[in-house]
Amino acid sequence: MNQIIGTSVSRKDGRVKVTGEATYGAEHQIPGLVHGYLVTATIANGRIHNIDTKEAEDNPGVIAVFTHRNQPKIFQPSNGFFGLYESRLPLADDLIHYAGQIVGLVVANTLERARDAAHLVKVQYQTEQPQVEAQKATYQKAPSLFGEDFEFQEGTFETGDFSIASSDAAAKTEATYTTEIEIHAPMEPHALVAHWENQDSVTVYEPTQWVKGSQRTYAELLGIPVEGVRIISPYIGGAFGSKAFPWPHGILCVAAAREIQRPLKVVVSRRQMTANTGHRSQTEQTMRLAANKDGKLKAIEHTAKTCTSPVKNFPEPCTGITPVLYATPNMRLKQEIAVLNVGAPTFMRAPGENPGMFALESAMDELAWELNIDPVELRLRNETKEHQRKKLPFSAKHFAECLKTGAEKFGWSQRQMQPRSQKQGDLLVGWGMASSAFPALRSSAEAQVRLLPDGTAHVLTSANDMGTGAYTVVAMTAAETLGLPVAKVKVELGDSVLPNGGMAGGSQMTATLTPAVLAACQKVLETANAQNAPEAFANLRESGRAAYEATASSAPSEESKKFAFNSWGAHFCEVTVDEEIARLRVTRWVSVINIGRVLNSKTAASQIRGAVIMGIGQALMEECHFDPNTGYPVVYDLATYHYPAHADIPRIEVNFVGEPDFNFNPMGVRGVGEIGITGVSAAVSNAVYHATGKRIRSLPITPDKLL
Amino acid sequence: MKNFAYVRPNSVEDAVSRATSDRDALFIAGGTNLVDRLKVFLDEPSQLLDVSRLAMKQIATTNEGGLKIGALVTNTALANNIDVRNNYPLLSRAILAGASQQIRNMATVGGNLMQRTRCPYYYDTAFPCNKRQPDTGCPAATGINRIHAILGSSDRCVAVNPSDMSVAMVALDATLEVQGVEGKREIPFVDFHRLPGNTPERDTNLEPGELITAVILPPVSFAQSGVYLKLRDRASYAFALVSVATALEVSGEQIKNARIALGGVAHKPWRATEAEEFLIGKAANKSNFEQAAEIALKDAQALAHNGFKIELSKRAIRRALAVSAQGGGEA
Repeated sequence: MNQIIGTSVSRKDGRVKVTGEATYGAEHQIPGLVHGYLVTATIANGRIHNIDTKEAEDNPGVIAVFTHRNQPKIFQPSNGFFGLYESRLPLADDLIHYAGQIVGLVVANTLERARDAAHLVKVQYQTEQPQVEAQKATYQKAPSLFGEDFEFQEGTFETGDFSIASSDAAAKTEATYTTEIEIHAPMEPHALVAHWENQDSVTVYEPTQWVKGSQRTYAELLGIPVEGVRIISPYIGGAFGSKAFPWPHGILCVAAAREIQRPLKVVVSRRQMTANTGHRSQTEQTMRLAANKDGKLKAIEHTAKTCTSPVKNFPEPCTGITPVLYATPNMRLKQEIAVLNVGAPTFMRAPGENPGMFALESAMDELAWELNIDPVELRLRNETKEHQRKKLPFSAKHFAECLKTGAEKFGWSQRQMQPRSQKQGDLLVGWGMASSAFPALRSSAEAQVRLLPDGTAHVLTSANDMGTGAYTVVAMTAAETLGLPVAKVKVELGDSVLPNGGMAGGSQMTATLTPAVLAACQKVLETANAQNAPEAFANLRESGRAAYEATASSAPSEESKKFAFNSWGAHFCEVTVDEEIARLRVTRWVSVINIGRVLNSKTAASQIRGAVIMGIGQALMEECHFDPNTGYPVVYDLATYHYPAHADIPRIEVNFVGEPDFNFNPMGVRGVGEIGITGVSAAVSNAVYHATGKRIRSLPITPDKLL
Repeated sequence: MKNFAYVRPNSVEDAVSRATSDRDALFIAGGTNLVDRLKVFLDEPSQLLDVSRLAMKQIATTNEGGLKIGALVTNTALANNIDVRNNYPLLSRAILAGASQQIRNMATVGGNLMQRTRCPYYYDTAFPCNKRQPDTGCPAATGINRIHAILGSSDRCVAVNPSDMSVAMVALDATLEVQGVEGKREIPFVDFHRLPGNTPERDTNLEPGELITAVILPPVSFAQSGVYLKLRDRASYAFALVSVATALEVSGEQIKNARIALGGVAHKPWRATEAEEFLIGKAANKSNFEQAAEIALKDAQALAHNGFKIELSKRAIRRALAVSAQGGGEA
């Protein structure tokens, strides 16, 4: 049997991507294609008093202008339907809830004409004072994100007695931490092409993390059967949670294409994407910790305030990870939410865990200083063997190993405890660390395998590759199971006509899909009465059949309900600070992560590196501000929304524990997409404290905060 | 956006003549700022006069021993020119601190000096803006103004000039050569960009139709001590929160000559003349650098979010002067 799983394989889609052969949503050329350009609100609260489209309609090449007065036909979704980012349907009425909200769509025969005409749509507003300032908002108890059965449980929870427990503690810390609004800013903008073949069937070329979900949502909103919608999404240029459901621009594009009876393309501009295709809410979190003198936690209180939009109730679930990380008899979690005049916040790489762990892991660092205990040791002493809300033991945890291995690889034992004690010439040097953790999710999925006479195996499933490496791990799983080289396996993804491969979200794709691929490969070999694919190919030629084919599905087992599944890790980093001129650089990074069995060491490490880079962006520079008077975002492109450039990023060393978690699935693998970002901003902030003696509790740590 | 004509004038004279007879015409060379601006309706020209093929691409030594730099020399070519690297290292460093390699390959000297502010309120037509449309107001003054001016602003405009190259040019006492229909004239660099005052819509003292043809650098005997220190929100590809260009001539213990210019703090590249004068004849030491920094920022005024720039500017001046006093280099 050839050993493929666990090796380092370059991504199968790499070549087509670097040569430009890979076709993204908006690149699909269809004869007769026309272009739509969005008209967006320039006020953040109020209503449309008048909208004058005459000049736009008279502009050369303009085919149609849609506003709330002639909304293309869109049906109300059924009750309880959650496949939408915005609850409000596009162009539903004359109300404006946030700046950047779509108020019109101009369709023309070229992009330039559509954009030009969109600029000529004259909207008069009745403006009301918008509220975009989190500090001035009114908060109330946050609802559960998806209901009790989901992994994101209700954010408010209490166990034990916080007041008694904390009263006689040897050490107590209390501090408030804040993070700013971050936008997803994927490399590929939000964009789609909708092509109605007839009144009952439409093909939508759109990047989506979940083709079957998009298919259902579009069918429901267009009032046609699910089979009438085909979603094609073979490549995605980054999503990070912002491409899981249709946004209003997508719904409007598909609905308008039906009205005009032509294929229609809509691309959301970078400027528009700062407002209307999702963001991570700002957060304000207060952490109170109490511990014995040996560092054992007696109580944790975690209060989180986040903001949402009038068009979506989305609490960033910050407190969810707190009971998972450290053992404590007394715990109080509180999650509150306020409505601002902003677009819908949504999932952004480790929603909840990421800002939640900035607060928790910063607070643990503060407690370690308070007690004069090494922060790695403090975490080891407080490890919990069970999930404190689910009351289930963790499967294949190895968290302590992550901490210890990371410390060793980083050289943590050489650290001088005292802040400001390490120097490199005139630079202050700080070392910081933080834990990393993210739940392991898994759903059910289906895959089909075909063995063809030309000696290739084809794997077909609707699942998506967001640029993460799904094509490659699917091929590797099939190649190893079938006894073929990876090059002989062809993988087809991202098409709703294929078997249901599940959703690329919540870091669940690999854990959900590869067991189904494994099962389908085993089944096709049974069908072929062969031990491996070469034997099957021989049988195929002998029998004269066109192909062997099998479809199999895989879902979480009953056995798996006896455990809590989570992934674990630890980040260690070094920063240098040129104190006089407030210049901060991250100079070294070591991560040790346990995601169970690593299928492809190359793409898995890339996922962690990318997540660490994104976390460094959150720690040092990412923030989207809104003008307090108009409620309009004052970030307008990728030059003004800062995320890391190459020069900001040091070498990032990634290590995996690699012990399979067979309780979780037959591949022993847990997801890798999100865990890498958790703890990153705290590790940086903790290192800044070690370097400077200054505890910066508000992200991002920009030069002004270091003065 | 109005439809516009695209024209390639066959000479500088032709270009200037066309631009003079049509006030809605715009020159275009590298287009690294202008094309972006066209897409968001900041400019709606009647015609684009593409001057990029005209012969203004030479860097020549002047009779005085300085350099005459053609307006169409690219940022990349200028930064890497051997005479610039040897004799004006601060100019080379300032250029390389700006934009990205790809943008620098396209951008030209003349265009760089004509680029306009990246104030987000100016940049989006959803906001009123005195610079874009006189007498509509300045929402930045009462809005999010972390990146805005601390020196020389007016109640009509608090925007800053984004150019790194200009900060070096003003420190080096450059002169601009411009051509109008009446012929050539020279403008001292320090007088080229304007403070906003009551006319923030005007960035420079170019007359309508005039085209920058060259920048002349005088010889600067102590240019080796040049430093360009740019402080920003990320390590690369970000405009300056504060930048400082310095050069010092020190003889024995005494400062004979000093140059201090600031970027990211005002509507124009800011020459700190009074601070320079203070240093002349003084010892090159920490305490004098501190006093010079205080003098340079004594008239600074903070808005709601940019107060940190005052302290950051002082520190940057101190640091840059200290490195210049050591003979220059990276700061």
